[in-house]
Amino acid sequence: MFHLVKYSIIWKVKNFNIFFWPFIFPIILGTLFYIAFGNVKEADFETIPAAVVEETKDSRVFLEFLEELQKNGTIQVERMEAREAEQALKEQKIEGILYAADTPYLKVNKNGLSQSVLQSILESYFNGKKTIENVMKNSPEKLGTALERMADHQNMVRQVSLGGSTTDGNASYFYALVATACLYGCFIGQGSARWLQANLSPLAARQCASSMNRTAMILTELLSSFLLHFLNVAVLLAYLRWVLGLDFQGRLSEMLLVILTGCVMGVSLGILVLSIGKWQEKIKIGIMLGITMTAGFLAGLMFAQMKYIVDQYAPVINRFNPAALIADAFYCINVYDDPSRYARDLFTLSVMSAAMLAISVLVVRRVRYDSI
Amino acid sequence: MIKTVDHAGAEGLVHIENLVKRYGSFVALDHLNLDVKEGEIFGLLGPNGSGKTTAINCMLALLKYDKGMIRIFGQEMAPDNYLVKKDMGIVLQNVAVFDELTVYENIDYFCGLYVKNKIRRKEMVDEAIRFVGLEEHRKMRPRKLSGGLLRRLNIACGIAHRPKLIFMDEPTVAVDPQSRNRILEGIMELNRQGSTIIYTSHYMEEVEQICTRIAIMDHGRCIASGTKEQLTGMIKTGEKITIEGVALDEELLQKIRGLPHVFQADYKNGILRLQCTEAKHNLVRVLHCLEEQEIHFGRVFSEQPTLNDVFLHITGTQLRD
Repeated sequence: MFHLVKYSIIWKVKNFNIFFWPFIFPIILGTLFYIAFGNVKEADFETIPAAVVEETKDSRVFLEFLEELQKNGTIQVERMEAREAEQALKEQKIEGILYAADTPYLKVNKNGLSQSVLQSILESYFNGKKTIENVMKNSPEKLGTALERMADHQNMVRQVSLGGSTTDGNASYFYALVATACLYGCFIGQGSARWLQANLSPLAARQCASSMNRTAMILTELLSSFLLHFLNVAVLLAYLRWVLGLDFQGRLSEMLLVILTGCVMGVSLGILVLSIGKWQEKIKIGIMLGITMTAGFLAGLMFAQMKYIVDQYAPVINRFNPAALIADAFYCINVYDDPSRYARDLFTLSVMSAAMLAISVLVVRRVRYDSI
Repeated sequence: MIKTVDHAGAEGLVHIENLVKRYGSFVALDHLNLDVKEGEIFGLLGPNGSGKTTAINCMLALLKYDKGMIRIFGQEMAPDNYLVKKDMGIVLQNVAVFDELTVYENIDYFCGLYVKNKIRRKEMVDEAIRFVGLEEHRKMRPRKLSGGLLRRLNIACGIAHRPKLIFMDEPTVAVDPQSRNRILEGIMELNRQGSTIIYTSHYMEEVEQICTRIAIMDHGRCIASGTKEQLTGMIKTGEKITIEGVALDEELLQKIRGLPHVFQADYKNGILRLQCTEAKHNLVRVLHCLEEQEIHFGRVFSEQPTLNDVFLHITGTQLRD
């Protein structure tokens, strides 16, 4: 069997389409993710220079609000006349102009992180003002207490993980990416399964007519596909951790075990989809594409909050969504440090993989075709 | 009506009984009966669409069939009958090799499906490469090979493990004459070495050249079987004579038709075609008749009946499209 695995690996490696895209696409996607938001948490939120223009005399509250913000270094505000401020904005000396009017407003000349922060500042001013107005209207005797609490609120919340690793909200995208990459093994598995279906190619017909045990054939293809794809995903993991410098703080051996299980899952999925049903190969590839992208989406690949939404409204999906299980296993290693949940995720993946392979073997073992 | 000249007697190495295979309403195999004896090169001859490849695929347990029985080496053929498959080799109509592997690697891979022992397998692979004459191309990939060489590689992959029974489904399609001769010689050599071969083709000349026994198929049925001599002996024609460049009138044509052993005479565009029963001196009699009338003639051909004549006699159509 080693002999066959060896050749199976050789021809897969030399077959550009089978090997290349499941390898390169996640790396490209990971790089794009990194460019988009990979360094956001580490970015020095440099003090944002802004101008404030007094349009009314009665803007003391707003101006004091801005003074307080200056103290913690969020913004650097300079009072200017309107024309001067606009000139400074045009010359990009400042990021925005805050107009202290009856209803303060913001003027910016581009979209970006700094402008978003200025907008948030303005919104927090309005929220605070509305809160105080409500308290004054409804319970004026409690105004002092309310003001104290508003001042303390920002110091009460600090994110920590139970395992001691700091959460990074954007890490979920990368966990989902690795999970989806594991599932891309289905395309390598599908390429393998082509050689097990006599009605798909003369090569497969020759193999199926040989004295090679069908179960051994499937296992050979599984092993060769898995080894290749495991290498793909391990390279991806190494790339994310050591080239892009992402925050994967868990033990490497545990992460490798996750991707090992995930890759078996992906390859098994590909073998299963191609082994069952009488649809054309193109349709089966479309099915696999749909499954992997849907699974990735539900695991938070495109929208980080999706995983939590699914957990809230349809938790059973995440219990069996392989991408969610893989991503969750990464959370368990890198964030929660929850061994029992980690083991449960891997066990579920293993059972699903075994079931898929068993079905494939049963279907393929004694199959004869209507036509070749 | 099925005309069978000889009977296989005891069940052969391959025994097919009442095989029926339908594709929807189309009957591809219509109660096919065949027996292949050990040690022979058994030819399955028939036009395109006659069911040869379908029969082969059923024998290989690749295709479902609706009715009938197939036994090979005395055992019922099934997809998981690996004991039977161990001694079978396959050379399919379509070239089935890995484009990504070299000639050596391809043969080694397919031999490895049957032979686990590394040393023995290496000997077999080297021998197969020598057998098909691909020594100079060991390290080349299939894409670099000509059509003829590719077919030789296809054959090597099917016979490297020295099977007792070899299925060859039109192995010389689109092959140059030199490679074709080489392939046919190789097949006969394999047979001399002890392999039984089932050979399908729509090329009558190949089947006549190498097959010890032949079954002619049409519309999924075996319509005649036997040796070449037995099959051609089934029809009236013993000799076909063609005379070119001859000018005949109706009277002389009738006279020629009246000659002994001449049962059909056609004259068109200056070419006289005669069919005679088997007898000595048919040609001499015809030429003598022409010379008596001082009729000049051009080229003269005399040939024995072919399997195409047999097919034409039985079905009324030509063997080749």
